[in-house]
Amino acid sequence: MATRFDVLVVGAGHAGVEAAYAAARLGRHVGLCTLSDTTVAHMPCNPAIGGTAKGHLVREIDALGGLMGRAIDATGLQFKLLNRSRGPAVWSPRAQADKRVYGKWVADVLHRESRIEWVFARVGRLLVKGAHVVGVELEDAAGNPGGTTLLAEAVVVTTGTFLNGLIHIGPKQVPAGRVGEPPSHHLAESLKGLGFRWGRLKTGTPPRLDRRSIDLTRFDEALGDDPAVPFSFMTERIDRSQVACHSLYTTEEVHDLVRQNIDQSPLYNGQIQGIGPRYCPSLEDKVMRFPNRERHHVFLEPEGIGVDEIYVNGYSMSLPVNVQEALIHALPGLEESVMLRPGYAVEYDFIQPTELLRTYETHTIAGLFLAGQINGTSGYEEAAAQGLMAGINAARHVARETPLILERNDAYIGVLADDLTTRGCLEPYRMFTSRAEHRLLLRIDNADLRLTATGREIGLVGDDRWEQFVERQQRFESNMRCAERTTVTVHNGERTRASLALRRPDVRLETLVGGGELPLELSPEHREIDLWSVETECKYAGYLKRQAATVERAHRLEHRRIPGDFPYDSVSGLSREVVERLTETRPETLGQASRIPGITAAAVALLGARVAR
Amino acid sequence: MFATDDTIVAIATPPGPGGIGVVRVSGPASVAVARSILRRATPLAPRRATLTDAVTPDSGRAIDQVVATYFPRPGSYTGEDVIELSGHGSPVLLRQIVSAAVVAGARLAEPGEFTFRAYLNGRVDLVQAEAVADLVDAVTPLQARAAFDQLEGTITNAVAEIDREVFDLIARLEASLDFPDEGYHFVDALSVGTEVTELAARVSRLLTDAGRGRLLREGCQVAIVGKPNVGKSTLFNRLCGAPRAIVTDVSGTTRDLLTETIDLGGIPVTLVDTAGLRETRDSIEAEGVSRARRAVKAAAVVVVVLDRSRPLDAEDRAVLADTSETRRVIVVSKCDLPAAWSARLEPVVGGADHVIEACLLTDDKLLAVRDAVVSVIEETDGEPQRDVPAVTNLRHIELLGRVRVSLFRAAEAGRSGTTEELVLIDLQEARVALEEISGARTPEAVLEHIFETFCIGK
Repeated sequence: MATRFDVLVVGAGHAGVEAAYAAARLGRHVGLCTLSDTTVAHMPCNPAIGGTAKGHLVREIDALGGLMGRAIDATGLQFKLLNRSRGPAVWSPRAQADKRVYGKWVADVLHRESRIEWVFARVGRLLVKGAHVVGVELEDAAGNPGGTTLLAEAVVVTTGTFLNGLIHIGPKQVPAGRVGEPPSHHLAESLKGLGFRWGRLKTGTPPRLDRRSIDLTRFDEALGDDPAVPFSFMTERIDRSQVACHSLYTTEEVHDLVRQNIDQSPLYNGQIQGIGPRYCPSLEDKVMRFPNRERHHVFLEPEGIGVDEIYVNGYSMSLPVNVQEALIHALPGLEESVMLRPGYAVEYDFIQPTELLRTYETHTIAGLFLAGQINGTSGYEEAAAQGLMAGINAARHVARETPLILERNDAYIGVLADDLTTRGCLEPYRMFTSRAEHRLLLRIDNADLRLTATGREIGLVGDDRWEQFVERQQRFESNMRCAERTTVTVHNGERTRASLALRRPDVRLETLVGGGELPLELSPEHREIDLWSVETECKYAGYLKRQAATVERAHRLEHRRIPGDFPYDSVSGLSREVVERLTETRPETLGQASRIPGITAAAVALLGARVAR
Repeated sequence: MFATDDTIVAIATPPGPGGIGVVRVSGPASVAVARSILRRATPLAPRRATLTDAVTPDSGRAIDQVVATYFPRPGSYTGEDVIELSGHGSPVLLRQIVSAAVVAGARLAEPGEFTFRAYLNGRVDLVQAEAVADLVDAVTPLQARAAFDQLEGTITNAVAEIDREVFDLIARLEASLDFPDEGYHFVDALSVGTEVTELAARVSRLLTDAGRGRLLREGCQVAIVGKPNVGKSTLFNRLCGAPRAIVTDVSGTTRDLLTETIDLGGIPVTLVDTAGLRETRDSIEAEGVSRARRAVKAAAVVVVVLDRSRPLDAEDRAVLADTSETRRVIVVSKCDLPAAWSARLEPVVGGADHVIEACLLTDDKLLAVRDAVVSVIEETDGEPQRDVPAVTNLRHIELLGRVRVSLFRAAEAGRSGTTEELVLIDLQEARVALEEISGARTPEAVLEHIFETFCIGK
């Protein structure tokens, strides 16, 4: 085994695999440290990829040349485009994953990368010289620091929930990052020892049931789309037959049981201090915080073909095992079901992402990058997006290249980095479309038009994707010209340019093309995306123009750079709290400064007077 | 820009003698300053009035007996440590106390600096900060009242209420986009248009009243016109309550424009006494006449004075013709003398005109003139709604105008069945403008509102 790498990635979850893959593709020699290759790109919670805004992230990862979109297309069980009844800006793909096959697919891709070397060991300590990271020290056989030293110019830490992870099941507390896997205690202390501000968060997962003990025909079936809409621009179609999910509702009996046993919930008796995500409440929270809601939706989701575990979505809890069993049996139709393993809550340390630049490199230690749940986020997609950007920038750091930063108007990936580094985390961060103020510009149909050229420029987009993209872009541009020049007849006999006709809600591009009036150039394999892009650009032209104008206005602040060592305490007029906050967060631009909580318009104005134009 | 880390001092009560006068000290060294300029040796208790003497720090000589109150940060007006010293209202003594504080290490505050610090420390929002300036500059009691309402947050409240409802609607629309499969029906797509239309109507009401608001803040001009020697200057003086114009019985006495700002029914009115509108060879008087014509053009209301004791002549008719396009009140003067004509029978005096027959020397007729002028001014600016808070600030009027446009667009989009993400573009624009009045919110706040209201998540 080598002991010297360009980039060392610690952890092979959704962040780690994207980071390792990107850095290797950019030509770096990568060491990937993980405990086992059976948990690569693992899904310890919900066996699903995508969802509102998360689906956008996956699409963007794919457009840049990352893994996640192709992985889920190749292995997903059920595909659905959410928000179809609304406009194309909020359409978002979601898929049920076959979690074992998914992990194996990703591990296989990484195994084929000759520049990735696997290191099956636990990292004990970061090695730092001056203000630079120089490598890591592994734990020895006894689990103490002092094992092998691995040197690297850049280290990407993606340890998820493992930093001082503590699992709660009723009164029982087990130190673990995931169930059955011991936590990283030494690495946590090593990171804290570097002076980073940190906090403690909580997340949870529901019980798993044995499929063989359930008569699924008793429940409502939820099916995917036919045909399935793929995540990746490289996927032409998904032909596999899709698997159904099933749904049911909680009852008053369930709610009563929760209330009777609430003092045994670590969430309610003070045993858990970490802050959990409000958008993903435990069953305890649902019952206690919303006593007026008569019932809550519960889904039974398969975890894979040939896997007997059923994931009980909407039923995460940390009550004692016997109470969990009673709660499962109280659900109508699950009276006889067998619980394979209980749900649990896990508390873990995270590093405040205000310690980071938007490249995910820490402000204080050059070459040290953090990505994924360690930065206070939740979700596989958020982790993957960070891992991708951290991997790209770690590779560029090693090559002394300028960092790649996506802005808020470029991608949800840009919104994610900007939110994290300016606002920090008070609860696990999840992406939502409402976080993107330029939402109409950041659509799944144009993710490639927004990002693939960038992916190519940095070297992540391979020839096959690039060739396909160039053709697709040419088709899009010529189709837009065609729509702007061609006159068509709308239903009342009036003739107008196709691009204007499409602004009417009832005029569809498909109809104009089908009627032979508008001779667009459409690829048989990518017909749908060709149509989407043209129709959306025409239909929403007015709104898109307005959004573009707000981007333009925001540019004034976004492009005023603040030096990293700017002396905030020398600006007269700033309150002590404001100076403290700015010094802690070190915004890269005036725009970022304006988004830091507690920074007033007056403070930005004062700051603007001192920052060079 | 002011420095904001030192300690400042100023007289906080209006200039001129008064019953009591307040000296305010604010900043990190306030307590130290107080210790060196107060006789009392023990520290001041927070928020408790203490009777003691203000003294010079060097010689310890007593300046005045004062009531000293200590407001510790951050719960003070400026958000800093504040000491307020209430002394006797003599400007001389107050200035001596300020000098003593300066000797003790404080800096003389610039105008508006206390409020600026309050704003920087988040103690007042922009609306309130602007209101403080308006309150200080208020000329009339009603104007002061409007500024005070604004300071108290009446405006902030009216805007905040609209803001809150726009925000709630945004949150529900956003929720329906971000949480499509939660089994919630967050908002009824058809009712969005109706809800937004109602909100737009409320903004319109605030804006309609803003006409009166601007009137309160900026006032308007009222010109008194008429041929020479009909009693214009007498009326002017009577309305001003003090003889400003020289009144003689020699016609053409008032050759230039004389102006005075008076309180007319709560509205600051700039009253203009003009030279008579007549053709003249006297070059100085001619300049006065031409200025009078310009004043008529600029005036919201003109008061035409006609002399009833002499028959109407060509000059009177010329004045009436010159002002026929302007809203006017006609005062028929010198009614104590025998009448040479009757307003009721005179066709040039239009039916729409307010006509008041008066001997300008009696008080009740003067009151009638005032009321007539006020009612004509208010007609000019729409029906006054005294129970609606007045928006007096041009910036707010402009922002509310933007809010209204955005809401109209959103309502239109909502009515035509456009999907949520597009209706939201307009609503978010409205929100941005509202927040410029009442303070900023973040996308995080939208999510927070959703999570508080609905049980989200599987």
